[in-house]
Amino acid sequence: MKMKKQIHIILIFFIFLFACKKEINEDTPLTKETGKIKFKFTHLIDGIPLQKDSIMYVNAAGNSYGVFDVMYFVSDVTLYKSDGSIKLINEWKDINYVDVDIPSTLTWDVYDEIPAGEYDSITFVFGIPTEKNKSFMFVNYPEVNMMWPDVLGGGYHYMMINGKWKDSSGIANNFDFHLGIGQLYHSNATDCIDSIYAFVQNYFTVSLPGSSFTLLKSETKEIEIVMNIESWFKTPHNFDFNYWGANIMQLQPAMQVVKENGYDVFTIGKINKEYK
Amino acid sequence: MKKVGIYSYLCVFLICLCSCKKEKTIDFPTDPTPYTIVIPKFFPTNLNIPSDNPMTVEGIELGRYLFYDGRLCGKKDTLMSCGTCHNPSFSFENGTGFGIGTTGIPSPHVMLPLINLVFNTQGYLWNGKVEKNSPFYSIPGAYGGNLEDLCWMGVYAPHEMNSDTNKAKATIQNIPMYPPMFKKAFGSEEVTFKNISKAIAQFIRTLISSNSKFDKYLRGEVNLTIDEMNGYAYFNTEEADCFHCHGTILFTTNGYYNNAKDTIFNDTRDRYAVTLNPMDRGAYKAPTLRNIALTGPYMHDGRFKTLDEVIDFYSEGLMWSAYADPFMTYLNDGGVQLNPKQKADLKAFLLTLTDSSFISNPAFSKPITLP
Repeated sequence: MKMKKQIHIILIFFIFLFACKKEINEDTPLTKETGKIKFKFTHLIDGIPLQKDSIMYVNAAGNSYGVFDVMYFVSDVTLYKSDGSIKLINEWKDINYVDVDIPSTLTWDVYDEIPAGEYDSITFVFGIPTEKNKSFMFVNYPEVNMMWPDVLGGGYHYMMINGKWKDSSGIANNFDFHLGIGQLYHSNATDCIDSIYAFVQNYFTVSLPGSSFTLLKSETKEIEIVMNIESWFKTPHNFDFNYWGANIMQLQPAMQVVKENGYDVFTIGKINKEYK
Repeated sequence: MKKVGIYSYLCVFLICLCSCKKEKTIDFPTDPTPYTIVIPKFFPTNLNIPSDNPMTVEGIELGRYLFYDGRLCGKKDTLMSCGTCHNPSFSFENGTGFGIGTTGIPSPHVMLPLINLVFNTQGYLWNGKVEKNSPFYSIPGAYGGNLEDLCWMGVYAPHEMNSDTNKAKATIQNIPMYPPMFKKAFGSEEVTFKNISKAIAQFIRTLISSNSKFDKYLRGEVNLTIDEMNGYAYFNTEEADCFHCHGTILFTTNGYYNNAKDTIFNDTRDRYAVTLNPMDRGAYKAPTLRNIALTGPYMHDGRFKTLDEVIDFYSEGLMWSAYADPFMTYLNDGGVQLNPKQKADLKAFLLTLTDSSFISNPAFSKPITLP
C-alpha cells in the first residue's frame, strides 16, 4: 500500500514536470567566446564639442565659418586582430549613417558577435564603396535624403557639412561642403552634364591611430570615433571657401582636396568597457 | 480501488494540461479586413501608421464617406467636410490657396495637398507641429501626433469647421447608415470622435500618387522629351539645385527650410514657433512637388500664383537674411540665375510630376450617394 502511494506521487511529479511547455531560448549560445562593440561618434572643432548654427570658427585658410549640419556615412568597418585575422562588420549592416541632429545615430550598437581577443587597429571606409553605392538602396528617412543625383554619378552623398562662411567682404555666405562621386568634364563647363565623360569614386579608407583594444568574452566595448571637423579644411591643403566657393559637388578638384584632407580627420577617443 | 487510481491520474493530467501557461490570444469584437498598402517601387517602406489605428478595408471606406460628408461639421444650417476644401482635382487641396472655413476666416497658411502623407515621418503642417516623436509636440486632447490630429483639428479650428467634436459625433450617430459602418470598422455602433478621426486618417493614408509621367519614365514605360530631360538635369544638379530640399522619390525631404523669400519674420506659425530654435525663423516644410501644377498658389502664404513666378524667384529673387538655410548657396547672387530656356525646361520637368490617375481615382473620390 505504502509502495503504491509512493509510485503515485512519483508519477504525478513527472506529469507536472513534462506537462508545461518550456520556452527554449534558441538565441542563447551555448558558449560565448565573443563580445560586442558599440561605436560612439563625437564631433569636435579645435578640440571642443561642435557648437552649431553660429559663425564662430576660423579655418586654416582664415575663413570665419560656422557649421549647421553634419551628416555622413562610414562603411566596411574592419577590426584587425593581433593574430592576423580580421573582422569585417557586416552581419546586420555594413553602412552606418551619422547625423549630428539625430542623437540616435551617434551611437552604433554593432550587431555582429566580435571574437574576443587583442585587436591592433580599426579602419573604415569614409563614404560608400563603389559596388555598394547604388541609387535607391536607401528609401527611408534619414538616409534617403543623402541621395546623390544619377546624372552626377548616383548613389548617395558620402558627407554633407552645411554652414556659412564670411567672405573677404565680411558678408556671410552659405556653403554646402559635400563629398560624393565626382565627375570629369570634357571642358571647363561643369554646368554641362552632357560633357561628363567619367565618374570619380572619392571614398577613402581611414586608419585610426591608437585604436588597439582588448575585447573580453561577453564584454561590450565602447569605442569613441571622433571627427575633428577643422581637419577637413587643412592638411595637406588649406581649403579656402573664397577660392572654391559654396558648392563642390560638381568640382572634382575641390572634392579631391577634401578627400586628401580627410585621411586624418578621424581619431580615436575613449575606449571603455560598457557598464550596464 | 484500481478505478479510483486511474480516475485520479486522469484528473491530475487534465489539471496539468489546463493549468500550464497558454499563449494569450486577443479576441477582437469584430473582424475588420486588414488592408495592406502596396508600396510603389522606390518609395519608403517605413509607413507612418500608428499602432492603435491599423488600416482596414472597413475603416478606409468609412473614412472616405466621412471625408466627404458635409454633416461632419455637426451644424444644422451648414455643411462642411474635409472634402469641401480638399478637392481631388487639386491633389486634395483647394487650388485657390487659403482654406476658408464656416466662419469665413481664412486658414493661416495656404493649404497643403493630401498626397503620399503615409510616407511622411517628419511632421505635418507647414511648421511640423503635428509629430508624435517630436519633443515639441503637445496639443492637449489630441490623438497622438499624426493625421488623426488633423481630422480633429479640422472640426474645431475657427478657420475650418469651427465646431466641436460632440456635435460632430452626435450628428454622425443619428445618421442610420453610419453606426453599422462603425461597427464593422471598430466593433461598436457607438460613434466616437476618436473613431471618426481614425477612419478619416485611414482613408487619407491611402492617397498615394506614384503614376506621373516621371514615375513611368523611371519604370521604363515612357521617355521624357529632351526639354524634360534637361529640366530633370537642372533639378538634380547645382544648376537649379532643387533636389537638396525637394529630392527623393517623394519630391520632398519633408524637412523645414528658410528659402530666402523674406527678411522680416513675424509669422507666429513658422518652424521657429514649434522648435524655438532661432535658426528656424522663417522656415517651413518643403512641400512635395508631385502634382505641383495643380497646387498653386505657392509658398506658405500663396505669394506666387504660377510656377513661372516660383522659378523666377529661385532664379533671381532670393533675399538675404542670416536665417536663410545653408542649402540656399546662391543666396548672395540672388539666385541660381537660370536663362529663359533653362527655366522653360525646368518647368517642363516639373509638369511631368502630374499624376492624372491620382486625381481621378474612384477609390479616392466622393461616394456617389452619402448615407
